[in-house]
Amino acid sequence: MKKTNRILTVLIFIFLYIPMAVLVVASFNTGKNLSVFESFTLNQYKELFKDKDLLALLGNSLLISILSTAISTAFGTFAAVGIHNLKPKMRKVVMSLTNIPMTNPDIVTGISLSLLFVFVGSNMLGQKESLNFGTLLIAHITFSLPYIILNVMPKLQQMNPALTDAAMDLGCTPVQSFFKVTLHEIMPGIVSGAIMAFTMSLDDFVISYFVTGSGFVTLPVEIYSYTKKPIHPKIYAMFTLLFVLIFVLMVTMNLLQIRGERKKEETYVKQEKPAMKIFRRVCAGVCALAVVLGCGWLIVNNQNKQVTLNVMNWGQNIADGSDGTTDIIKAFEEKYPHIKVNYSTYDSNETLYSKLKGGGLTVDLIIPSDYMIARMIAEDMLLPLDFSNIPNYKNVQADFKNTAYDPDNTYSVPYTWGTVGIIYNEKYVDGEDVTGWELLWNEKYAKKILMFDNSRDAFGIAQYKLGYDVNTMDEAELQACADELSRQRSVVRKYVMDQIYADMEGENAWIGAYYAGDCMMMMENNENLRFYLPENQGFNLFIDAMCIPSCAENKKEAELFIDFMCQPEISGANMDYICYGSPIEGARDYMDPELANNPVVYPDAEILKNGSSYAYLPEKTTRFVEDLFMKIRIE
Amino acid sequence: MKKNKALLLSGPYILFMVIFTLIPLGVVGYFALTDPDTGAFTLNNLKNLALFLPTLGTSVGYAIVSALICLVLGYPVAYYIAHRKPLTQKILYMLTMLPMCMSFLLRTLAWVGILETNGIINTLLTGLGLPALELIGTPGAVILGMVYNYLPYMILPLYAIIVKIDRRLIEAAEDLGCNGVQVFSKVVLPLSTPGILSGLTMVFVPAVSTFYISQKLGGTETMLIGDVIERQFKYANNRNLGAALSLVLMLLVLVCTGIMNRFGGDEEGGVVV
Repeated sequence: MKKTNRILTVLIFIFLYIPMAVLVVASFNTGKNLSVFESFTLNQYKELFKDKDLLALLGNSLLISILSTAISTAFGTFAAVGIHNLKPKMRKVVMSLTNIPMTNPDIVTGISLSLLFVFVGSNMLGQKESLNFGTLLIAHITFSLPYIILNVMPKLQQMNPALTDAAMDLGCTPVQSFFKVTLHEIMPGIVSGAIMAFTMSLDDFVISYFVTGSGFVTLPVEIYSYTKKPIHPKIYAMFTLLFVLIFVLMVTMNLLQIRGERKKEETYVKQEKPAMKIFRRVCAGVCALAVVLGCGWLIVNNQNKQVTLNVMNWGQNIADGSDGTTDIIKAFEEKYPHIKVNYSTYDSNETLYSKLKGGGLTVDLIIPSDYMIARMIAEDMLLPLDFSNIPNYKNVQADFKNTAYDPDNTYSVPYTWGTVGIIYNEKYVDGEDVTGWELLWNEKYAKKILMFDNSRDAFGIAQYKLGYDVNTMDEAELQACADELSRQRSVVRKYVMDQIYADMEGENAWIGAYYAGDCMMMMENNENLRFYLPENQGFNLFIDAMCIPSCAENKKEAELFIDFMCQPEISGANMDYICYGSPIEGARDYMDPELANNPVVYPDAEILKNGSSYAYLPEKTTRFVEDLFMKIRIE
Repeated sequence: MKKNKALLLSGPYILFMVIFTLIPLGVVGYFALTDPDTGAFTLNNLKNLALFLPTLGTSVGYAIVSALICLVLGYPVAYYIAHRKPLTQKILYMLTMLPMCMSFLLRTLAWVGILETNGIINTLLTGLGLPALELIGTPGAVILGMVYNYLPYMILPLYAIIVKIDRRLIEAAEDLGCNGVQVFSKVVLPLSTPGILSGLTMVFVPAVSTFYISQKLGGTETMLIGDVIERQFKYANNRNLGAALSLVLMLLVLVCTGIMNRFGGDEEGGVVV
């Protein structure tokens, strides 16, 4: 019995630590793939320390955790003393109130707080950015407080009430007796509560995910968006460093505690336990640090009166300086030193729309696709551009002016254009099967097929396959498309957006539908991948364009950014990385000739004739399609 | 005087918790009962919930299975830790706690690397000349992810209870003629019930509401209620339906913890890890 227990315990600990070992090993790997170790390197660590944004995010996380722990520890301890002295009936009520954030699922807590903040902040107080640092801090305090209360309460109950009475008999005021007697007795509870609150706050993803706006983001929330894109191994390096740090911290804490206990046994110290002394100092140090950091943060924020430009773009949709490309954002910041770009990503037009509609954040520049721009214009979500700030608009090719989605060129300046097609792995897929969109329904490749996880692109493919108009509003036709997609479900491995990168490059899946430029990027990483455009059935031809949403705070700077992107050399350098067609005259000349002459990036004009654009459909149709798609997903 | 002090100290806290836990739940209720377009009162969101009942059922099923597996795996571990020397106990406790401090997103992502079609396990298998297994995208993978992530939530409360069991009680049972199995079933197990119940709750609640684990390790068949809620807020822009689903999830959890507390008798602050 004992032996099996021991073996089981060892096995469980191996189970708990295997994934972490995988990540630690990956941080020394030259390759990006978790399952293939290519060769040893320390480059990921170098990359990590070069990435100031990532370190800033870690700083944000620490700031929030330290502040929320310090505040909730102080607040919670006093509250616990108060609750302890309440009448039993009242105490019970307050304790069940305390238990709400403990027993409620995190997702409900997160949603309820974000709805409250947006509802009160935006609707009642008229704040533009109602999801900010303050609200995130409040959210963290809210879920930290119960940990303090629940750890301190039992210590208060264990304490002999005669102790405080004795202190007061000896002449202490109630306040003195609290600090001289009670606090000592309950200190272990406070410390363990604070540690718990701190770790929960540092690693909290779910609640922060719903409460975060655009300005202040913590590390776990950003990591979530990283894991949707192809993840950079420097993240693993950071994980490893954090692991070592936390491990060392925990061991020292425990050693101090053990030493304190030993000393106590040996010398029977009458005064304060040494461990407590140390803990008190640690706590005081942490609080002081929090205050310093907090002030520092405020000073930094006020001092450099830089404008922060919040740019929101698709994942993998701007050259970031890797693989010898130009770092576009850095180039922009160098040209305009007073502007700091705060860059974040979304993975579909619909998620962008939801983010903006959800409210509570300020975004200065977005890059949605054609049909979404039309929808946003119709719903008054965009601001008209001031073209006197965008002199380079003259570089935009005539084909991309006076478009169907923005006929008077009021709200948008084109960024890229491209097609939607099929990417497949030549090694596994028989060339004879590559005949059209039906490849995505082929049972021969069951569970090796990836499908779009957004309704518009998924329905578009079904419409091309069935020969319907892509902009049909006929409910019977849409229902037929839904049936077709529902039939496809059994062969689909997964519904994805940018996760397609990992699955196609790693050859876990063999066939997928995606945007041409992204397919091109995947093909650069895996030579077995091929792109196919079903020209006979038709395919989507899209334009992504830069717009300024109505929640923008820095309109002029956003226009400077747009103007910057309209320079042929910048646009060309950008396309070299993202592999799309540029709408800017002359940009093609600045591109890598191999790419500029690639038919995936620039298909022949003859072929392009068979492409069609998505148009804006009325709200009723959009919702109808969305409901159908939801049903397919949860079937 | 004492009463005043108590209210003075706890008053701000009560006010804070009412504003930031009770009122937000009221706001969720408000959204659940209004129309997304017009903002008028409606019961449509609640009517639409019927569509999601199967998803809710799947989620509850997965969460119950994970909680039970965690119990079966976690109990012997907690028991083993509780019967070590104090120093060993501290070390093992710390080792159980440590994974909880590390990013759960990245740890889950590591499982993707392990279970993938061309992942670590399958590379090893094919290297040994064995056929590869289809591991990712299955319900098993999702449950594995849940067990992995929430196992410490089971071990820690169990340990906290088992370590407090008076050794003399066990000795007494042995003196009175109980064998090992009987000592366990008649003394240790009943005394550790509060730990079992709080462990089950602490695994069940996050498991039933997760959305990341199913997104990463699941396939087309493993959409859980957490995914659906997240989707309503972050993709479909239907916060009202999302709010209605959140209410249902919350009620479900309330009912489950209510049942647990009935069995365990309510102990103030018993959930402390």
